[in-house]
Amino acid sequence: MQANRGAYRGARRAAENSAASVNWQLTTDFWSGIAGARDALEAICLSLGAIVVALLLFGGFVALDGKNPLAVYSVLYLGAFGTRFSIEGTLTQASPIILTALCTALPARVGLLVIGGEGALVLGGLCAVLTGVAVAKAPAFIGTLVALLGGTCAGALWIASVGALKRLRGVNETITSLLLNYIAIALFNHLISGPIRDFSITLKAQSWSVPQAFGIGAIPGWSVHWGLVIGVCACIALFVVIRHTTLGFSMDVLGGNRRAAQVAGLPIGRLVILACAIGGGAAGLAGAIEVLAVHGAASESLIVGFGYTGILVAFLARQNPLAIVPVALLVGGISASGGLLQRRFDMPDATTQVLQGLIFLCVLASNALAGRFRWFAR
Amino acid sequence: MSVDMQNMPPPCVEARELCKRFGAVQALADASLAFTSGRMHALLGENGAGKSTLVKCVMGYYRADSGTILVDGATHAMRSPLASRRLGLGMVYQHFTLVSQMTVAENLVLGRTQVPLAIDWKAEHHALDELMRRMPFRLDPARRVSSLSAGEKQKLEILKQLHLGRRFLVLDEPTSVLTPDEADQVLGEMRKLADASVLTVVLITHKFREVMRFAQDVSVMRAGRVVATMDVATTSVDALARLMFGSNTTIAMAQPSSPATTAGDGYCELRDLRALGDRGTLAVTDASLRVRKGEILAIAGVSGNGQKELVEVLAGQREAESGSILVGGRPYRRTRSEMQRLGVYVLTEEPLANDCVRSLSVAANLALRRYDRPPIAWHGLLRRRVLRQWAERLIDRYRIKTSSPLARIDSLSGGNVQRTVLARELSEDVRLLILQNPCFGLDAVAAAEIRGQIAQARDRGAAVLLVSEDLDEVLELADRIAVMSGGRIVYEVDRANADRYAIGRHMTRSMEAA
Amino acid sequence: MIPASGIGWYGVALAIVGGALRVSTPYLFVSLGEVLTERSGRVNLGLEGTLLMGAMSGFAIGSMSGSPWLGVLGAAATGALMGLLHAGICNLPRVNDIAVGIALFIFGIGLAFYLGKPFIAPRAAMLPALSLAAWSSEPAVRAAFEISPLLLIGIVLAIVLQWAIFNTRFGLFLRMAGESADAARALGRSVNAIRTIATTVGGAFAGVGGAFLSLYYPGNWNEGLSSGQGLMAIALVIFARWSPLRCLWASLLFGGASALGPALQTVGVTSGYYLYSAAPYVLTLALLIYSSSTRHTLAGAPSELSISR
Repeated sequence: MQANRGAYRGARRAAENSAASVNWQLTTDFWSGIAGARDALEAICLSLGAIVVALLLFGGFVALDGKNPLAVYSVLYLGAFGTRFSIEGTLTQASPIILTALCTALPARVGLLVIGGEGALVLGGLCAVLTGVAVAKAPAFIGTLVALLGGTCAGALWIASVGALKRLRGVNETITSLLLNYIAIALFNHLISGPIRDFSITLKAQSWSVPQAFGIGAIPGWSVHWGLVIGVCACIALFVVIRHTTLGFSMDVLGGNRRAAQVAGLPIGRLVILACAIGGGAAGLAGAIEVLAVHGAASESLIVGFGYTGILVAFLARQNPLAIVPVALLVGGISASGGLLQRRFDMPDATTQVLQGLIFLCVLASNALAGRFRWFAR
Repeated sequence: MSVDMQNMPPPCVEARELCKRFGAVQALADASLAFTSGRMHALLGENGAGKSTLVKCVMGYYRADSGTILVDGATHAMRSPLASRRLGLGMVYQHFTLVSQMTVAENLVLGRTQVPLAIDWKAEHHALDELMRRMPFRLDPARRVSSLSAGEKQKLEILKQLHLGRRFLVLDEPTSVLTPDEADQVLGEMRKLADASVLTVVLITHKFREVMRFAQDVSVMRAGRVVATMDVATTSVDALARLMFGSNTTIAMAQPSSPATTAGDGYCELRDLRALGDRGTLAVTDASLRVRKGEILAIAGVSGNGQKELVEVLAGQREAESGSILVGGRPYRRTRSEMQRLGVYVLTEEPLANDCVRSLSVAANLALRRYDRPPIAWHGLLRRRVLRQWAERLIDRYRIKTSSPLARIDSLSGGNVQRTVLARELSEDVRLLILQNPCFGLDAVAAAEIRGQIAQARDRGAAVLLVSEDLDEVLELADRIAVMSGGRIVYEVDRANADRYAIGRHMTRSMEAA
Repeated sequence: MIPASGIGWYGVALAIVGGALRVSTPYLFVSLGEVLTERSGRVNLGLEGTLLMGAMSGFAIGSMSGSPWLGVLGAAATGALMGLLHAGICNLPRVNDIAVGIALFIFGIGLAFYLGKPFIAPRAAMLPALSLAAWSSEPAVRAAFEISPLLLIGIVLAIVLQWAIFNTRFGLFLRMAGESADAARALGRSVNAIRTIATTVGGAFAGVGGAFLSLYYPGNWNEGLSSGQGLMAIALVIFARWSPLRCLWASLLFGGASALGPALQTVGVTSGYYLYSAAPYVLTLALLIYSSSTRHTLAGAPSELSISR
C-alpha cells in the first residue's frame, strides 16, 4: 500500500480507461456459455435501449415540428423494410457501410480509433478505375477481380500508413486518418478533373469509365448488386478470423491490454499495421464496388459520407464484425427511408441524419451504464 | 504565513487504537501513536507494516474502522481530507501533485482557496519572493515545474503546504527521489522548522541514517501495530533494526536444492543494464546479475528502488537504455518465439493489470502462452474446444476458484488471479522464471502453496529470479540473495551466509554509503 | 470572387490577401473555441456540425428579425447549446470524447439542414463590411481589403484569450484541468465543470464562425456552405500549438492558402486547383509527423488530451 504504487496504478488505470472506452466490451466470448452470454446480452440490451431512447427523442422532435410521431415511425418502417422496393433500397444503402464500418472496427479491436473510411473508400474507387482500365483487354471476370483488388490494395495502403505513423512516430491515429481523408478527397478531385477525366461527360467531372464487362451485376431477382454479398462475406470471414484463428486471438489480447500483449511477446507493430490494412482494404473495396456496381466511373457521387456513417455502424455494433451486418441494415434502412419521409411529410433529406446522430449519441451515452445493472452482474 | 501563526505552537496529533482492514488484510491493528508538538517524529517500518495507512487515517483519506484521532487534545472524526486540511494538517506524497507544464508561481497560486480573478503576475512573483525569504527553500517562481529536479519538486511540494498554512506536515518517503545532498538539505530544513516551533513533522521512512540524524522521536511499526516509540537519542540502529525486522524468528526454510542441480551454468545474465523510469530519470543503473539453472536468485529491496523497472525490461514492457540481457548465452530480444524456445516465463506485480486481459475469460488468459501452439492451435486456427478442455485441466490442477472456465478473469478474487497467472507460467517447460511479489495480498495458505510451486520449478532445473519486497519470503526461498537499492545491485550473498539484519541494512542504505 | 481584370499576378497576390482576410474568419473563431476546449482536456470533433448549426440559426434569426447582429447572437447561443451537449455526454464515465465529437458532427449537420430547410434563400440581412482600402481607385484592391467586423472581433478575441489563458483565474483552472486532472482533483476543483464551461464557450465561438459564413461570405444558406472548416480547425489548433495568437496567424495562413486555388484560376492556372486546397492538410500532417515522437507527448499539447497520449 505504498503511495508510490498507488500513483502508478492510478496513471495506468487512466490509460486503461481511455483504451477501454474505444473498444468496450468488444471481446465478449459470445458463443460460449452463460457467463459470456450475459456480457453479450448486456451489450445488446444497452444498444437496443439506446436505439429506443433515440427513437423516442426523435419522435418528440418531429412532434415539436407539428408531425405525428407514430405516423413518422410507420413511414420510417415502410421506407426501410415495408415494401420490396424499400428493402432493396435499404440493402443498396447498407452494402458500402458494411465495409466502411470495418475500417473503424478492425483498428478499434487493437486499440486504435481510426476515422479514415471516407478517404480509403474514395481512393479505392479511384484505383478500381485505374486498374480496371489498365487491364481493359482481360476477360470479364478477371477484370472485375483485378479492379476490386486494386481498390482494396489502395485502401489498405492508405490506412496502413496511419498505423505505421502511429507505431513509428507516435502520431495520433484519429487526427492522421482525418487529415488523410481530406488529402484523399483532394487527390481524387484533382485526378478526376484532369489527368483521368472523361471529357465527353459535360455535366460533371467524371473519370474514365471502367469497361462495361467488368461491372458488378445485380443478384438475380433483386435490384441489389452483388456488392452486398461481398460485404457480408467479408464480415463473416473476419468474424471467423477473429474468433477462430490465432491471429484474431492475438488482436484480442492486444486490444484488451497492451501490457499483457507485451508480456506475451506479441509483435505489436505488425498487428497494428495489419489491422489498419485490413480495415482500409475493406473501405477501399467498398469504393471499388460502388464504382463497378453503381456508377461505372469515379465521380463526386462517390463522396457521400459512407465513411462517416460506417463509424456510426462500427460503434453501434461494438466493433464486432458479425453485428455490423444487422446494424448496417438498420442504419441503411434509416437512410433509405429518407426519400419516403420527404414525399409524405415534406421533411428534408437531413432528417435521417438527425435520427442517425441521435442514435449514435445515445449509444455512446449508454456506455456509461455498462456494468451498472445488477441483473447482468455476476 | 500569517503573523498569528508564529505565536501559536504547532498542533500535536494523537492516534489511539486505530484499526483498519482492507478485505482480507488487517492493515492496522490497534495502532496507537502520539506526535508531540514541534518535534520531528520518524515512522519506521517495512513495506506493508502500516505506516502509510496510519497516516492516511489521520489525514482523513481513509476512515479507520475503529479508534480515535485527537488534534490538540480534541477528538475529531476525520471524514475526509477536507477535515484534516481545515485543522492545518498536510501531507506531502512521494508522487508529485504538481502541474508540470506550469510554473512554480502558478502552482502555488493554484493551491490557494481564493484565487484572484485577474492575476497580476509581477505582484505575485514579488509576493512569492518575499514569502520564500522566510522559508527554508528558495525557488525561482518563474521556472517551469518540468524543468525542476526531483529535489526541487519535493521542496515545492513542501512549500505548497507551508504556503497554505499547514503546521502539521507528514512527509511520505520524501527522500526516495533525492540525491543524498538534497535529502540532507530537505530534512535539515524541516528539522529547523520543527525546532523553531513552526511545524510538527512526521517523517515516514525506512532509512535508519535519516532517523538517527534528523528525527527526535521514532516509532517502529510492524504488521499494523506500533511496536515501540522512543526518543532517538536513547536508541541505536541495531535496536531499531531488531524492532523492525523482528527478533530471532525461525525462518521456515524451503527444501534446499539438491546438490546435483545447484551451480548450473548461468542461464540468464544481465550486464550493466540501464533503464529509465516513468519520470524520465534513471531507475535501473548498471545492474549486473547472473541467474543459474536450478537456483533461486532473490532480489530483496524496498519498493521504488528500480525493481519494477527491472522486471518490466525483462518482461518486454520497457526498453532498456543500455546494457544487455542474455538468455541461454545469446541476446534476448523478448519476442514470442524466443520466449517459447528459451522457456522464459514471467509474473509481474499486479497481474490483473499487467499480465492478463480483463475482458477475456479465465480460459483465454490461461492459454496466453500456448494458444498459437498445438494442440490448441492447428495451422493457424484456434480450437476453442481444446482450449477449454486444456484450461479446465489447469483449473483443476491449480485449484483456481472460478464459476466457469469462460467467466471473465476480472470476476476472480485477487488470489485466484494470481493462481491463474502462475498456473499459466509454471505449467510449461520452464527454464527461466521471473517473478515479482508473487504472494502479495494472498493469505498464508495460498502463499505457502505458491512458494512450494516456485521451489518445485527450481528443483526441476529452472533458473528462477524472484524479486520480492517481503524479506521473509526471500529468506525462505532463495538460494542466493541480492539487494537492490537506488537502482543498483548493492549486495550479494548466498543462503548459507545470509544474515537478516545485514540484508535489511543494505536494503535501507542510501546511495552515498556505497 | 474578385475579377482579375488584366492585372495578372498582382491580382493573384491581392486575391490571396483578400482570401486571407475573408476566409480566415470562420477558421479563427472555430479554432479559438477549440483552443479553449482542448486546453481543458477535451477534443470536440463535432465543430463542423456546430458551425453549420450556427450558420443556420444565424441566417434564420437574421432573416426573421432583420438584424444580422441578432443573428450572430443567436448563432452563438446555438453553438453554446451544442457545446453543452458535447460536454454533458463526455462528462459521463467511460465515454470517449472523440466518438462523441463524430456523433455530434453527424447530428449537427443533420439538424442544421433539417431546421434550415425553410430558410434556404439567396440572401438575408447581411453583416456590414468595413472597407480598409477606400482610398484605392481600383475595385479589385478595394474588394480585397473589405473586411467584416467579425474579423476585428475575432482579432480582439484572440488577443484577449491569449492574455486570459495565462493571467486570469479561469485561465489557470482551464490549464490545470487540461494538464493534470489529478492535481485538479487533489485541489478539490471539479474537472468536469471546467471542461463543460470551456466546451460550451468553444461551441459558442464556433457558432459565430458559422454565422460569418451565412451572414457575410458567401452570405447565403444552402447545402454546400461549409467545406470542412470545422474539422480543419482541429488541424489548425494543433498547427498553432494551442496558442490563441498563433491561431490568428494560422487562420490567416490557411485562409490565404484556400484562396490560392481560385486566385490562380483567374490567371489561367487551372491545374492543381484541388491540390492547393489540400495544402493546409498536408502542412498540418507534416508538422504533426515532425513534432511527434514515441517517447514523449506533443510539445505544448495539454497532457490530458486523448489525442496527445
